[in-house]
Amino acid sequence: MKSRITTAAIGAVAIAALAGCSSAGGGAPAGEEGAFEPSDVRMTVPFSAGGGSDASGRAIASGLEAATGTTITVENREGGSGAVGYSHLFAQEGNGSQLLAAETTLLSLPLTTDVDYDHTSFTPIMKLGDDYTLVVVPADSPFQTCTDVVDAAGGEGVVAAVSGAISLDEIVFTLIEQDQGVEFDRVPFESGSEVIAGLLGGTVQVGSLNPGEVLGQLESGDLRALCSLSEERYEYEQIADVPTAIEEGIDVSFAQWRGFIAPGGISDEARQYWIDAAEQYVASEEYTTYIEENLMQPNAVYGDEFVEYLAQNSADLEAALAP
Amino acid sequence: MLDNLLLGFQTALTLENVVWCFVGVLLGTVIGLLPGLGSTTGVAILLPITFALEPVTALIMLAGIYYGAQYGGTITSVLISTPGEAASVVTTIDGYQMAKKGRAGAALAISAIGSFIAAIISLALLIAIAPPLATIALEFQPVEMFAVMILGLVIVVTFQGGAFIRGALMAVAGLLVATVGIFPGTGSTERFTFGNVNLLSGIPFVEVMIGIFALGEVFYQIRVGAAEPIKARFKDMVIKRKDITDSMPAILRGSGIGFAFGVLPGAGSTLASFMSYGIERRVSRNRANFGKGAIEGVASPESANNAAANANFVPTLSLGIPGGATTAVLLGAFTIFGLQPGPLLFESQPELVWGLLVSFFIGNVLLLVLNLPLAPVFAQMLGIPYGYLYPIILLTSLVGAYAVSNNMFSVWLVLIFGVLGYIMKELDLPMAPFVLGLVLGPLFEKALVQTSAIGQGDLGVVFTSPIAVGVLLFAVAMVVVPKLIGLLRRRRVKETAGV
Repeated sequence: MKSRITTAAIGAVAIAALAGCSSAGGGAPAGEEGAFEPSDVRMTVPFSAGGGSDASGRAIASGLEAATGTTITVENREGGSGAVGYSHLFAQEGNGSQLLAAETTLLSLPLTTDVDYDHTSFTPIMKLGDDYTLVVVPADSPFQTCTDVVDAAGGEGVVAAVSGAISLDEIVFTLIEQDQGVEFDRVPFESGSEVIAGLLGGTVQVGSLNPGEVLGQLESGDLRALCSLSEERYEYEQIADVPTAIEEGIDVSFAQWRGFIAPGGISDEARQYWIDAAEQYVASEEYTTYIEENLMQPNAVYGDEFVEYLAQNSADLEAALAP
Repeated sequence: MLDNLLLGFQTALTLENVVWCFVGVLLGTVIGLLPGLGSTTGVAILLPITFALEPVTALIMLAGIYYGAQYGGTITSVLISTPGEAASVVTTIDGYQMAKKGRAGAALAISAIGSFIAAIISLALLIAIAPPLATIALEFQPVEMFAVMILGLVIVVTFQGGAFIRGALMAVAGLLVATVGIFPGTGSTERFTFGNVNLLSGIPFVEVMIGIFALGEVFYQIRVGAAEPIKARFKDMVIKRKDITDSMPAILRGSGIGFAFGVLPGAGSTLASFMSYGIERRVSRNRANFGKGAIEGVASPESANNAAANANFVPTLSLGIPGGATTAVLLGAFTIFGLQPGPLLFESQPELVWGLLVSFFIGNVLLLVLNLPLAPVFAQMLGIPYGYLYPIILLTSLVGAYAVSNNMFSVWLVLIFGVLGYIMKELDLPMAPFVLGLVLGPLFEKALVQTSAIGQGDLGVVFTSPIAVGVLLFAVAMVVVPKLIGLLRRRRVKETAGV
């Protein structure tokens, strides 16, 4: 215990010092000859500490540290719904020691907002896994299935919670509308927990949330999951009996992915170096723990396959976001 | 209940947990002191170092940072009119005036005492009736929050009594600055960003605060030149019994108001602190001295922000919904430690929840012991000649601005708002309404957009909610009643004069 206190105390001082002076800006020259040797590696998290992106960024960074033996500093560069972090990485072109914990905003921001980059501006390394959403209602809701919700939306109307025009829940509700020819009334919120409060307080009738966000309320019985918007049912025990929307005849499934990318124009050696490290991480127990704790799907892909996935996903998103 | 408390004490009173609680409140005080670094940033920055600890210990320390920062944020508000924390913005009004009169020590001490009393009251409420309170809090949905935000705006514009027009002007300026960034209604419409990605999420409040308060004051003093350091006798530095008895009603009201606003998810302690100040200005026996260094003007918001910080844990622990920005980061920490936040937390993790709650008691006692004797010591810092003090403020402000976001853009923002702050001082425009307009802007706009969506474009939906109507009537009363009283008084004066 004593040694733990000392190490953490030293850590505290170091962090405080870091907060004071912060990064001097890493500058590993890129594309040099021979093997790639990372130096001053940074993992940018384009959102604030404590959120879902931060958790995945830190999990990936520590997994890569274990795999490569280098130190990776995690930096939160929040702002602009992620645009600030991505723009920072965009400016690091050619630097193989810069990484970024990416997710669906890599694709959705360039589609809706005026930013300088799109997904082809970067070097995709690994997709960590997928997160789907569950359609949830308050415990006392008259809806028992997703078909009930769709029927009501076609009839007397249903109020759905969304978190902005480029959010995953906006996309899945739009996809349901397109598939079923109905329309939802929408009330915009800014985060999953706000949506939960809106459902519990009766402002909205239906929401779509990641299982990890809403498990606490599902287990307590305050909210009920009607269907999952995934291709197949979840294998996780807690939500294994939730049918998919597809089973109910609603042909909608949409995955939010998480993973990490490097700047564009890095050397092939650098790219291969991180892909190898990522493969090692995925084989570790740490990876399984992360995926299971967040109730995600462990379908990792790397390099070229990830590039293809992004192109397809971006096209899907564009179709869903088109007015 | 008693079993739970006992379990809490057993958990919180281990040597390791007490030590980390102390580290937390100490770091919190320091973080609160530094301009720009508030509790949200502080908890976020220090989160990674707690990964090595047991979850309960880590959360005790992180929570310690949170309420420790509420104490620390006051110190610079009083001494150099620079709030270390958003929730201490209003404290600058009367706190700094007290300091100018040589009573900084008393201001700091009353804030420590008020914070302590508020913390104990709100903790008792939190422990006794958190779950039913959380159910009431859920009644405050977007429509009701819209009414609360209108009340907030009314209080802001009527903030500094006589200077109504100036206050209203500055509040509106704050609201305008708050419109920069992505429109929350669509999530993609950009407003006043001029293609700059740094502006997409709006003008960050922390940078504005550092700029107009800290740099603005430095620039102003440079221009005024050769100001004498404040000389204070030690006798004036120490708080008197009369100060405490005078402040008691303000502390108790502040605790109540702070707790009420803290329970509402998303309202946070900034709103609580200025609502409390605004109301105290109306009802206090000493209201005539508000804005001129009334001790109640320090006691009230400082009690309120601490009560709100604790009350924030009501929705956080019993519903799994964060009460404010800092508790949102803390909830994130729960997940990182493999704990599932939600309504079942009290049952599934009794040791953790009760240990955490009891640690709040311990932490607040530590803070009182730490802050009371230090108040006169901190106050002595005002004796430092400005030639030494201001370069230090400048340096910490700029470094702090950079550290918040790792981004030079923040530094430029701080400099720009520093110049604006200087101009405001020159023109004698009140800064607190500006900052509060900026804080309220996004909250107000969100509630507006949501209410309009709920009513399908008709804001009249507000009048279908009894709670919202009640809040709106209160807002009307805040404007009308003082005018009526003033009118009646004048008439009475006339009558007596006539006789």
